[in-house]
Amino acid sequence: MLDVRNLDKSFGAIHVTRDVSFRLDKGERRVILGPNGAGKTTLFNLLAGEIAPDAGRILLDGRDITAAPVAERARLGLARSYQKNTLFDGLTVAENLGLAAAVASGATRSILRDALAAPAVRETVSEVAARLHLTPHLGAQVSAVSYGVRRQLEVGLALATRPRVILLDEPTSGIGPEMAHGFHHMLSSLPRDLTLLIVEHDMDLAFDVADRITVLNYGEVVFDGAPDDARNSALLRDIYLGSWENA
Amino acid sequence: MDFGFWLFQTLNALQLSMLLFLLSVGLTVIFGLMHFVNLAHGALYAVGAYVAATVAGMVGYWAGLLVAPLIVAELGLLLYWLLIRRMRQSGPMAQVLVTFGLIFVLLDLTRIIWGDIALGIEVPDLLSGRIEIGGVTYPVYRLFIIALGAAIFAALALVLAHTQIGAMIRAGVDNDQMAACLGINVERLFLLVFCIGCALAGLAGAVAAPVLSVTPDMGLKILIPTLIVVVIGGLGSLWGAMAGSLIFGFVQTFGAVLMPGLASVLIYALLAAVLILRPAGLFPARG
Amino acid sequence: MFHLSPLRLGTLALLFAGALFSAFASGYAGLEILTEILILAILVIALDMVAGFGGMVSLCHGALMGAGAYAFAMAGMSLGLPVWAAMLFAVLFTGAVGWIIGAICAGSHGIYFIMVTLAFGQMGYALVFESPFFGGDDGLAGLARPDLSALGIDLNRSRAFALYCLAALVLVALAAAQILRSGLGRALVGIRDNERRMRALGLTVWRTKAHLFGLSGMIAGLAGVLAAQHVMYISPGLMAWTVSGEALVVVILGGLGTFVGPILGAAAFVVLRHEIGALTPYWHLVVGLILIAVVMSRANGLFGFVEGRLARLAARRTAKADAPHREPRDA
Repeated sequence: MLDVRNLDKSFGAIHVTRDVSFRLDKGERRVILGPNGAGKTTLFNLLAGEIAPDAGRILLDGRDITAAPVAERARLGLARSYQKNTLFDGLTVAENLGLAAAVASGATRSILRDALAAPAVRETVSEVAARLHLTPHLGAQVSAVSYGVRRQLEVGLALATRPRVILLDEPTSGIGPEMAHGFHHMLSSLPRDLTLLIVEHDMDLAFDVADRITVLNYGEVVFDGAPDDARNSALLRDIYLGSWENA
Repeated sequence: MDFGFWLFQTLNALQLSMLLFLLSVGLTVIFGLMHFVNLAHGALYAVGAYVAATVAGMVGYWAGLLVAPLIVAELGLLLYWLLIRRMRQSGPMAQVLVTFGLIFVLLDLTRIIWGDIALGIEVPDLLSGRIEIGGVTYPVYRLFIIALGAAIFAALALVLAHTQIGAMIRAGVDNDQMAACLGINVERLFLLVFCIGCALAGLAGAVAAPVLSVTPDMGLKILIPTLIVVVIGGLGSLWGAMAGSLIFGFVQTFGAVLMPGLASVLIYALLAAVLILRPAGLFPARG
Repeated sequence: MFHLSPLRLGTLALLFAGALFSAFASGYAGLEILTEILILAILVIALDMVAGFGGMVSLCHGALMGAGAYAFAMAGMSLGLPVWAAMLFAVLFTGAVGWIIGAICAGSHGIYFIMVTLAFGQMGYALVFESPFFGGDDGLAGLARPDLSALGIDLNRSRAFALYCLAALVLVALAAAQILRSGLGRALVGIRDNERRMRALGLTVWRTKAHLFGLSGMIAGLAGVLAAQHVMYISPGLMAWTVSGEALVVVILGGLGTFVGPILGAAAFVVLRHEIGALTPYWHLVVGLILIAVVMSRANGLFGFVEGRLARLAARRTAKADAPHREPRDA
């Protein structure tokens, strides 16, 4: 589904991504772990197209999208959420989801019809809202809802584009354990053919959701394997898991 | 088109460039430091020209040249306390609109004080007449403008590069929050730079007064060329202001004689090209 | 997001009734003022579309209006097109120019966007001003108004022309509301609010901006055609950057992004100019002070102020009504 080959990126003298490769099969759920500064968000920005790699290739369904602009990747079914909420703060929750669904369905190209009123768009909005417990907040302006709701909406925007691959950048950062647990449950209930790539700090979530784990350190892949192997890996426990438990 | 022609036009271009430099340097450093676009900068230049003309009529040219920058700096101080201080946090559109309103206000105030008739100003004996250089006779006063612009540029470059206050300004342009963290009183620095910028606008007005006729709308006329200079050169940069001034002066002057009818279009096309290809200008102040 | 609230619809209806009434009640001078208002209202609707709903603060809309006027004049004089065809040509031409400017400027933001649009506007001004082909500084005279004598209407009379402009304004307002309500308009508001996210959702941002700028250009072009037909003479002064600046002032005084506010602002602006102009030659001083006061008050213009006040009032009322029933909220 998503094939990442030998991605390299430096900012000046700092090598943030070094020869990163992995493959996501259709429906696979992969979690990326790594300490702060390991290059996780940079990797997401490379995959989503917000920055260009110095070397390497990205293939989506066998199609080379390394040079494709952000919007084109999104239209090909690659959606992302941001670590730091990137929402339409001046609009309501419903309008946020509506815009996402409308852009994805091409309704925002029409000069005649109201994109937000289209039946398909409305359906997507209510479905995503129900899934993320956003229904009671649909009429509220984003700037007026709580941080937790905004965090849910951040993922909701990605889901509302009806993607095939979804990149979630620390979706549970800053929300309480109870909410994170609910979120985790939501992820498991997503259709199995949806491919997920998640950057996550929460170890439990990582091991529960993941089919596979990739660990990044200083921009390099230092581990790629099944969650059980990751759990039992002495290297990881010593170097990475230890550092989380202490944190 | 012999050597004399080229020399003559080059001097004309330099003269225009230096006048624009005096205006644009204030505008650009104010923007670089405060992210504030003062559209009324041209109106301050017009006020400078009027003050210079009035004082010159009563006392003499040199007094006018001295007093105009001081009065305009005072006016700048007033504007800073009344308006600009409060507009610092506003978006670019609000700043553009407030200073656009200020243009209207200053324009009519100069009309109320000085009337609608164009004022002239006598050049002192020392600077009157023409001298011969390289086979062309050229007005001394215009050479004076070139020399003054170059001198001010040299002085500013020295101050920026080698004094403590210059270092503070460079730090502020580079990153004002960081500068504030380092213990620099950024607010006071803004005020100082704003007043110097206004004084230079006043000086430009005083210097231009004998060459151009002094009219209420002279500020409006010079504003667009000044903005072009600043944008081509790169907002916030002293060297950019000089480079932009030279580019504008030469394109305008030589365009007017070699391609009449297309000179201005050429300038705007150049500006659009710079903005599209290098949106931060040719010599951006920030890395 | 754009929607026509009862307050907005009511104000529009009142404005329309007022315009219709004054079209029949006014004498020659009043009709001239009314026509001026109607044409300015069309221009500021175009500007509010991009500046208010798209965050693209354009300083070239005066020049776009001028482009429409010149395109109309040239299509009639040089191409020999009949009046209606020349009008259509002018609107399409200005739309194309707007589209190109919008496409080129799509990557610029904030003060840079203002500067680039200013540059394009000035480029047009210089082109017209310096070229004898366009009549240079002297302008072009002898422009025609459409011939509606088949309908028994003589557009050379001021009342008929004012009504013709009113009809154009109504059409433009309907079209603008339709555009803002369409998918394209929704995407535009999304871009204003968060361009990066719109891109991440899959929108080709520059194209949406260009389309809207083109549509806005068409409307500005129509304003130019009407302005040319109104005074039957055009000069480069129509394209000066101060015209764009004044249009922006009108939008701000009325209320940016409120759709109705700028129309209200156009009426207030033209009436004030005539009233104050009759009292003192220093009309600009008054406008400048009003502008500074409005921007510094941080109210969103006349209409934005009223809307904000009413919304707060309504919120307080519902809060009061809800208070006894409200459950204690979790922390």
